[in-house]
Amino acid sequence: MPSSALELRNVSKVFKKDRDEVRAVDSVNLTVEQGEMVTFLGPSGCGKTTTLRMIAGFELPTGGTITIQGRDMTNTPVNKREIGFVFQNYALFPHMTVFNNVAYGLKSRGEKDAAIKPKVLAALALVGLKNTENRYPSQLSGGEQQRVALARVIVMEPTLLLMDEPLSNLDAKLRIHMRTEIRRIQKKLGITCLYVTHDQAEALTMADRIVVMNKGKVEQVGSPFEIYSNPQSLFVADFIGQANIIKLTVEAVVGNDIRALLPGGRTFTARGLRPEGKGADIYKVGGKAALIARPESLTVLSADDPNGNAPATVVSEVFVGSHIEYEVELEDHSVLKAFTPFQAGMRVFGEDEKVSIWIDPSNVLFLPESST
Amino acid sequence: MSDFTKKKTERTLMIKKDPVLFSVLVAVWLSFAIFIFLPLVKLLLVTFFVDGKLSFANLSNILGRPYNVRALYGSLILATAVSFAGTFLGYMFALAVTRTSLPKPLKWLLSAVTILPLISPPFTSSISLTLALGPNGMLLKAFGIENLNIYGFLGTWISETLTYFPVAFMVITAILSTMTANLDDAALSLGASTRRMFRTITIPLSYPGIGNSFLLLFGASLADFATPLILGGHTFPVLPTEAYLLITGMFDIKGGSTLSFLLLVPALVVFLIQRALIGKKSYVSVTGKNGARSDFARLPKELSVIITIVCTFVVALILYLYFIILWGSLVKVWSVNNSFTLDHYRYVFAHGKKAITDTLTIALYSTVLGSLLAVVIGYVSQRKKFFGQRFFEFSSMLNYALPGTVVGIAYIIAFNERPILLTGTMSILVAAYVFRYYATGIRSVIASLQQIDPALEEASLSLGAGSVRTFTHVTIPLIIPAVLAGMRYIFIHCMTAISATIFLVSVRWTLLTTRILESMTELQFSQASAFSIVLIIIVFAADALMLFLLRLSTSKFNRPQETSYAIVSA
Ligand SMILES: Nc1ncnc2c1ncn2[C@@H]1O[C@H](COP(=O)(O)OP(=O)(O)OP(=O)(O)O)[C@@H](O)[C@H]1O
Ligand SMILES: [Mg+2]
Repeated sequence: MPSSALELRNVSKVFKKDRDEVRAVDSVNLTVEQGEMVTFLGPSGCGKTTTLRMIAGFELPTGGTITIQGRDMTNTPVNKREIGFVFQNYALFPHMTVFNNVAYGLKSRGEKDAAIKPKVLAALALVGLKNTENRYPSQLSGGEQQRVALARVIVMEPTLLLMDEPLSNLDAKLRIHMRTEIRRIQKKLGITCLYVTHDQAEALTMADRIVVMNKGKVEQVGSPFEIYSNPQSLFVADFIGQANIIKLTVEAVVGNDIRALLPGGRTFTARGLRPEGKGADIYKVGGKAALIARPESLTVLSADDPNGNAPATVVSEVFVGSHIEYEVELEDHSVLKAFTPFQAGMRVFGEDEKVSIWIDPSNVLFLPESST
Repeated sequence: MSDFTKKKTERTLMIKKDPVLFSVLVAVWLSFAIFIFLPLVKLLLVTFFVDGKLSFANLSNILGRPYNVRALYGSLILATAVSFAGTFLGYMFALAVTRTSLPKPLKWLLSAVTILPLISPPFTSSISLTLALGPNGMLLKAFGIENLNIYGFLGTWISETLTYFPVAFMVITAILSTMTANLDDAALSLGASTRRMFRTITIPLSYPGIGNSFLLLFGASLADFATPLILGGHTFPVLPTEAYLLITGMFDIKGGSTLSFLLLVPALVVFLIQRALIGKKSYVSVTGKNGARSDFARLPKELSVIITIVCTFVVALILYLYFIILWGSLVKVWSVNNSFTLDHYRYVFAHGKKAITDTLTIALYSTVLGSLLAVVIGYVSQRKKFFGQRFFEFSSMLNYALPGTVVGIAYIIAFNERPILLTGTMSILVAAYVFRYYATGIRSVIASLQQIDPALEEASLSLGAGSVRTFTHVTIPLIIPAVLAGMRYIFIHCMTAISATIFLVSVRWTLLTTRILESMTELQFSQASAFSIVLIIIVFAADALMLFLLRLSTSKFNRPQETSYAIVSA
């Protein structure tokens, strides 16, 4: 059986600052398959960079093991791991030409000049940078520098490509262009790639799988679709795509479904999720459950519409072109976001107008209240 | 107990994990032990052990003589006065360069004039002050002043202030020019007058520079040996000269080392305060991406007037003093026979040739060895983590922090007998220079490494290069400018040093600075002037060469308008 590209087992990292201990990474487990693109997403300071730096070998884990292609690399020095690392600020060698930057790793490896030249030129061509090899990094734009950094790494044909917010120094348009570019190259070469980003859109569009981290722990691992539609915790639901979280009282538990009381008196039924490792009876009649509803799953209707689930008042209304972004207040004073697709001739509600909201039961779910 | 074994395994791990670092550390610690700790320990032993027993006899003996107590007070008073005056002058010059709208060439002149005292041998201003204000002095004659006595506190104070204020100028300029003009704008837009802005923004923000300059000047004056030797006279004794006279005149090693212990204590205190202050400083790296940069607000009127007067006066004085030296080296007999002659230069090249070649040889050796060591020590203490790191850094700076007289006396005590018999050799001079003056190199390397993102080195490692290759191919090329800048200062220091080396010169190895001192004590002012001019020219030429190399080493990859990207921290 071929071993997976990367395996983290209970990897932890504790930093000692003066007397304090910071648990930057806390028992992380992860398996990455050959050729996969995995992105790391999470709030600032949650340990994404630290995890990546441990995989690269810049930091040694305090505990746990790191296996790359079946070989235990936990204590192997960086330069023996055959990984490629792309830095947020490119880290190009300012005293070398583009050519020498890209050739640097091959030369360290002791390859012959004759063999190096075609490889370097091919790598530069791959990232769309022909005829720049005699320039110095300071003579390139930010996006071009980023591509040199990429070329410098892929020319080594690394077993594992690690990128820490590689696009965060670029402007929005270039970022979108570069992320398709990186994805294209990654797929073409079949490189296993780990990618840290702050940008949700980047994570969702690029990844085969997403790792959501919080406070040093992995909250959830899954495909973009799973993460978005089946968040396993309130944190993930809240962090990805700003879901509305409505705390409701449970009326009945029927198989997988939960029936709960909405503000305004009606009841509402949807699927209840049971996160792994928790007991089967985490939902109790009379107890609380959190309804997770994406803004797209809420529709604003007129107050007397028979489909409405709960009465509400419009707090704000913003037209953004493709849809209208409402903020509405329910009778228990919780404020929800609702995005209604724009159609010509549709009715638009103004501020302070009484409305009702319809919740699409097939697109929402319940989570236990305490799963933050 | 478990803590101990943990430490131990950490250390054994280091041998295995980073054998290069381990052997480098062992070698450097060994050299510290021989050239820094051994002399210091021997000095303390001589001071505090009499007949093999701990004793304060030497101390009470020395302090029992009122003249020595006066020397102690004299040193402290002089150092305080010099730090005040020098910091004041430095601040005025720094303001003139960073905050006034003087034309560029004038600012350049101000900076250039302050370089002169930095690269001159230590006697220069003493000699010319003597020629100008001493007996038969030019200025005295010109103004018809009869009985001004330049010898004593006044002359020493003026001369040391002129010699050391450039240090204050550099330190304060650095801090004034890193402030952002936005703060000025903010203060003014909040309704402050320029006077109030200066008092509440500019001055408080420059406190670190002022404090640091004060400490540096205090230490420099405390250690200065040459100026009081010439200008102090009998009425104003200070510790370094007293120690020198005791040792060279009366061969009283015990007395000399006890006096230098008295000198060591305040110097060490100043050093420790300075380290504590700098330790808290956070380094702001220049990113160059500051957006539109506006100009600093104008200074209050009165202040501009004061600055103009002070700077003009000081610049005129310095230029005048250097002119005197030049003039003095070119006339037959100073102020008696003013006819032009090159005799003194002929004398210098005939009888001083050995001193010139010796000085150059020693300075070159010391510069090369010193900067190599500086690169290693700077790199290791900035980029590596190891046990006892802070103490390592502290030790490396120790000889620099101690007054040269102390180091010189400690060296003759330590290296006067087997197994390490070095007195009379070139090695003792080179060692003294290397372990004192490499400090500027270390600082320069550390400062430059702080500006270089460690990601560059990590990038090299992750591309498969080993740590040695990374060091030689990535780190070294990037810090070359800093190394060259460090070399400049090491070389200047080595060419102009006197306080430590006066104890270490011998018949076999003489130095230009000691030749100047000899000429002065024989009242051969013209020869002293000629020697000084030759020394200044050599230093100037070498400095220009280094600057040229520096330009060459950085021009290739630095686009002047955009140096930002390598500096953004990870
Ligand atoms: N060298 C270090 N020493 C001490 N603490 C550290 C060190 N590096 C990181 N930390 C701490 O570890 C935690 C995780 O840091 P990390 O850089 O991995 O976060 P991150 O998820 O990459 O954040 P960001 O999204 O802001 O880049 C933080 O609390 C940080 O302060
Ligand atoms: Mg990070």
